[in-house]
Amino acid sequence: MTAYQAGSMAAFEELYARLAPPLLAYLTSLARDRGRAQDLLQEAFLQIHRSRRAYRPGLPVRPWVFTIARHVWLMDRRARGRRPGSDAPLPDLPVPPEVAALAERDRLNRALSTIGSERREALLLHHVWGFSFAEIGQLLGIRADAAKLRSSRGMADLRRALHATSRRDHA
Amino acid sequence: MPERIDLPPALRDAIARDLHPIAPLPPPARRLAVVIPVALALLVASAAIFGLRGDAPRLGVALTWLASTLQMALGLVLTAAALRESVPGTTLPRRVLGVLIGTAVLAIVLITTLTWFASPTRIASGHVGFVWTVCVAGTVAGALPVLAIAGWLVARAFPLRPRVAGALYGIGAGLIADAGWRLFCHFSDPVHVFGAHALGIALAALIGVAVTRPSAESR
Repeated sequence: MTAYQAGSMAAFEELYARLAPPLLAYLTSLARDRGRAQDLLQEAFLQIHRSRRAYRPGLPVRPWVFTIARHVWLMDRRARGRRPGSDAPLPDLPVPPEVAALAERDRLNRALSTIGSERREALLLHHVWGFSFAEIGQLLGIRADAAKLRSSRGMADLRRALHATSRRDHA
Repeated sequence: MPERIDLPPALRDAIARDLHPIAPLPPPARRLAVVIPVALALLVASAAIFGLRGDAPRLGVALTWLASTLQMALGLVLTAAALRESVPGTTLPRRVLGVLIGTAVLAIVLITTLTWFASPTRIASGHVGFVWTVCVAGTVAGALPVLAIAGWLVARAFPLRPRVAGALYGIGAGLIADAGWRLFCHFSDPVHVFGAHALGIALAALIGVAVTRPSAESR
């Protein structure tokens, strides 16, 4: 990031290579539309570029770029007038390693779709992308313990949803 | 294997066209250092230009200079919070924002109440409108230099919640300006302080929001 701030195109390309995949997955989980998320990803990198001065060397890069990506999604949602509780099906999402062994991908995805968006976001940020609760708190504008609560409740919801689908499959 | 996403040529070209070295933002404490001399100047300006309030001997140092310095410090804390708020990834939780603003309100209530009990002074009837106008205008005019500097510092960063950042440094600027103005204003009547002086602070907050929102949304 520091080399990018110094004007290195190679540094930007490396940043893109490292951050585009998790950012696309994150935006997909928010937008629930892979095509839309790809557009948002490009917009997010343009915003990252415009605001690169605001990154302070020494601070972790990922919370900074995820926060900007989330902002891009929020602005897009506001422009489209879409409500947060969209019931469109979730596209293929990354799955927390802790529960990856519990069921096949499709069932996990369906179970994730049933969790409230706030809890799902905190759950994925912590278990999939490895953010600390303090970082999630800063990203979402909430306290670290509130982020922890959302994530743990999201995990409990996910286990319950998996249990319910498992019982339905056996019946 | 992690997924690989190719950099789209259009994005690459857009970045390459605009890529040049930039200096990263200094930490909030260093950016706040630009505001501190202005805040100190505002603290002494009203008393130096117009004279210290008439009941200053009765109030003592604690309820004049010490109370105003405390109020100025709270204004600086809110301005620092705005500078932090304007950097993505370091936004403050809502509860912290509430505590900061609540503390500032409590401090003003406490200072006003103690000042009123130590030296109750009312505006003579017939002069209320004039005194209110002077105090609102004095507080807003005093806040303008801090609003200009803090607004510039916030705009150089990247406030994702421009209304929050604008309100924070606006209230901060109002508190700093009023900290100096109350050393000149002779009237401790809580109706006057919570009315005219608080209105000046609220107007400074509105200016902060009005200035920050369009500059952030134009990105």
